[in-house]
Amino acid sequence: MKRVQFEHSPIPYLFVAPQLLIIAIFFLWPAGQAVYQSFLLEDAFGLSSQFVWFRNYSDTIFNEGWLQSAWFTAIFSSLVTLLSLGLALLLAVKANEVIRGASTYKTLLMWAYAIAPPVAGLMGNLMFNPLIGDLYHFMNSFGYDFDHKLHETDAAFVVILISVWKQVSVNFIFFLSGLQGIPKSVTEAATMDCKSPTRRFWTITFPLLAPTTFFLMVTNITYAFFETFGIIDTTTQGAPGGATTTLVYKVFQDGFRGADVGGSSAQSVVLMLIVLILTVIQFRFIERKIHY
Amino acid sequence: MNKHTVITHFILIIGALFMTLPVWVAFMTSTHAPETIMREGLQFWPGGHFLETYNEVLFEPGGVMKKVTALGMMKNSLILGIGFSVGKVIISMFAAYAIVYFRFRMANFLFWIIFMTLLLPLEVRIIPSYKVVADLGLLDTHTGLIVPLIASATGTFFFRQFFRSVPDEILEAARLDGASAWRFFIDILVPLSKTMIAAILIIMFVVGWNQYLWPLIMTTKEENYTLVIGIKQIYQVLNEGGELPQFQKAFALTILATLPPVLVVLVFQKWFVKGLVESEK
Amino acid sequence: MNLFKKLAVGAVTSMSLMASAAYAQVEIQWWHAMGGRLGEVVEEIATKYNASQSEYVVVPTYKGGYEDTMTAGIAAFRAKQQPNIIQIFDAGAATIIYSKGAVVPVADLLEKYAGGFDSTDYIEGVRYFYADSDGKMIGMPFNSSTPLLYYNKDIFAKVGLDGPPATWEELEAMAPKLKEAGYQALAQSHSPWIWAENFMSRHNLPLATANNGYDSTDVKILYNTPELRMHWTKVKEWLDKGWYGYYGRGWGDNQDAFVQQKVAMWLGSSGSFGGLTKSAEFKFGAAYLPYWKSVVDEPTSTFIGGAALFAMAGKSEEENKGVADFLKFLTNPEMQYFWHRETGYVPITNAAYEMAKADGYYDSTPDAEIGILQLTQKSGEWTKGYRLGFYVQIREVMYKNFEDILSGKASVEDAFAAIEKDGNALLARFHDTYK
Repeated sequence: MKRVQFEHSPIPYLFVAPQLLIIAIFFLWPAGQAVYQSFLLEDAFGLSSQFVWFRNYSDTIFNEGWLQSAWFTAIFSSLVTLLSLGLALLLAVKANEVIRGASTYKTLLMWAYAIAPPVAGLMGNLMFNPLIGDLYHFMNSFGYDFDHKLHETDAAFVVILISVWKQVSVNFIFFLSGLQGIPKSVTEAATMDCKSPTRRFWTITFPLLAPTTFFLMVTNITYAFFETFGIIDTTTQGAPGGATTTLVYKVFQDGFRGADVGGSSAQSVVLMLIVLILTVIQFRFIERKIHY
Repeated sequence: MNKHTVITHFILIIGALFMTLPVWVAFMTSTHAPETIMREGLQFWPGGHFLETYNEVLFEPGGVMKKVTALGMMKNSLILGIGFSVGKVIISMFAAYAIVYFRFRMANFLFWIIFMTLLLPLEVRIIPSYKVVADLGLLDTHTGLIVPLIASATGTFFFRQFFRSVPDEILEAARLDGASAWRFFIDILVPLSKTMIAAILIIMFVVGWNQYLWPLIMTTKEENYTLVIGIKQIYQVLNEGGELPQFQKAFALTILATLPPVLVVLVFQKWFVKGLVESEK
Repeated sequence: MNLFKKLAVGAVTSMSLMASAAYAQVEIQWWHAMGGRLGEVVEEIATKYNASQSEYVVVPTYKGGYEDTMTAGIAAFRAKQQPNIIQIFDAGAATIIYSKGAVVPVADLLEKYAGGFDSTDYIEGVRYFYADSDGKMIGMPFNSSTPLLYYNKDIFAKVGLDGPPATWEELEAMAPKLKEAGYQALAQSHSPWIWAENFMSRHNLPLATANNGYDSTDVKILYNTPELRMHWTKVKEWLDKGWYGYYGRGWGDNQDAFVQQKVAMWLGSSGSFGGLTKSAEFKFGAAYLPYWKSVVDEPTSTFIGGAALFAMAGKSEEENKGVADFLKFLTNPEMQYFWHRETGYVPITNAAYEMAKADGYYDSTPDAEIGILQLTQKSGEWTKGYRLGFYVQIREVMYKNFEDILSGKASVEDAFAAIEKDGNALLARFHDTYK
């Protein structure tokens, strides 16, 4: 809290009102509606509804399709987060070491931040297209019948690849920044103490990057949970057989395509709870381990 | 050059290629005739059809009902991007100022509400949000497209962090000079935040331009499509079995959809990176 | 402005307001899911209608694909901004029909305002899908199609085959020859529609209890039967033998395989021949959907896919009159014939069919008739179609399990057990929702 503050003025209420109004109308009200509708069985047109307690929840959670997408979301998010963090870290470390061409590398590696997930998905989709896609033929050239329309792992592979590709840029920017923020005195002292660059990295640099890594983990998981919707929708649409459907994609399918209001509302609420729990876990347990 | 440096450069070059090659190929392929692409697959070098294809895509109505051109969609995307970023900056600056500089009863509570919106992105509440917007009669309007997106508190969060880092002495000095809360905000704080404002504008422009799910469900007329959702719909048409697939147009559209935000990010690189990184602290 | 100008402006304004009130036409909003060429024909129909009379103006709007159009209609209805006419597809029929108060049956509208309605005017294969169990038509079939087999005449000639297979047994005999020549025998574009729903109809087998779902929402699906399981066991065999190719769920992807001449035969829709005429660089023909001789001696007709037009409730009497008038216009033989010719969808009335025949249309384009012929073949107890709730989700379940069969992830028995279990769970939910 600031020591010095203004007091007794109508200004704060005025200033904060627009943001609050928008949040009330477009966040709290819909969120509340989602919770309310999750307890109802309602026909698509809203002409009749019945209160059914937790039936939507049990129908949802014990449904095989939902379980499959929950499982896939978990694996998908972990892989995308680990891979894009790992790749970005490697590239950031190297970019930090290099002097010649540093800014060129930096630009080339960070620009993909600006590309929208669905656009990346569409490009990737075209590159895996059986008719013209070089990547498709490339994958088939190993003697393995690669078909992302039919084989679940292949479809997951495509979706993960594109998601990681897109996310490396953001992570790279933050990691590089974090590395450049390490005081020179520390790096010099470390070089004197420890001859092996690998050991130096793991014992000194990496822990110093911990706050950045933690922050990125949170954002990456959010990205994998939600923003990858655009990628999935333009590549596999959750197929084959629901193998690449994330939880949020399923909310969209059931609510928007299937006109199942109660079911998709229950799924939304469950998804909200999952994200909340994940965030709390991250903040409580992992942040404790980080020494600032 | 020692071995270590060679390896470093090697890794960086592979990384750079990994990140840029797909778009290079997309661009090159978009300059070829569809027959060439069907015969030979993706292209790595320019073909002769750049002007022709981009001209068609930008100016000739395409899409399912033939009512929209890429240019029209770019306009919609631009309105969304600019409207969103400007709206966000204004509203969040105001809200952050109120929270940081005033001691009023609800400040903390309000802050937590705002924080909550960070955790729960639009995707978890799309169905009821859609209904609210429909009930307000805002479907297929620019207002309905932009305003609900401002309901997430990322901007407020950034500005709050930034304002907290502004030294108290400045405020003290202003109060000694008799400045009112409003004056302090307009004459001192805003100019001080110029870099931050620029950075947030840039980041939010990219975010707004790249919006997918929300525009997808609340625009139902082709004339209102933004570029990012338009390319998917158009791709479906190109793909609707029967005619020769127009891959070069599909690639051209992806390039057009990527160009403005990428240009913005590259030209304003310094500010953009600064803004992103500052916000994390 | 001085006083004189103000008065002048006021006078002109009020005069023009009165004038426009006098010429005000009643607007009929029509939301549809027809894109591309089909959308153009829709616009032409509206233009023709508007030119033919001056009381009403029909305004068509493309709202996206079938699901998106239905979703938009639902949201609009909840916000009391619904259109007059909305196009709803087969999988969405149960949802809109069972939502009491969402629509006014077209039969009622036509009776009241357009001088009557006789369902026997309509071709049999088309009559029942959007009707209630008493036969009263709730929605009016608009774009109707049925699954057909297309075959590549050039490949057939090359390999020495006489004609398309009438039964699946015959296809199995042909497939090895085609494979030797380097072609896959078959691809198809909509597994639930062609190899479940119309499979049942073709072999006159029930696909759900409660009269295929028409009698009540308390219903269970009957896909988990020996015949359908046998069929899919065969399909998996064909896939493994290289006789059948699965190109994903996209309609276009499987059609492309036929157009690219990777496969010799393709199961598509009666409406596909228009597009094929433009894109196929080879001679092709249309034929009936094959059946299993081992299951049934004589096949029965298939039923329609596609969509129907529904009149939404809650509109003024003026507008409802306009809707009735427009629907009547649509059922004129001339309009039906026009729609049929331009799009390949089947004409829905007998009169239109007769007109097309008399015009010699089928002499010049025999393939265009195959769909109607198939729809007017011998009908059976189970050729009427189905009415099942949450069917979009049920089709998802079917796609998933069919894909599991094809990829080898699940056995045919397990896949069909899953379809039965998940499908019935969805139907039970629907039943509870729409009591």
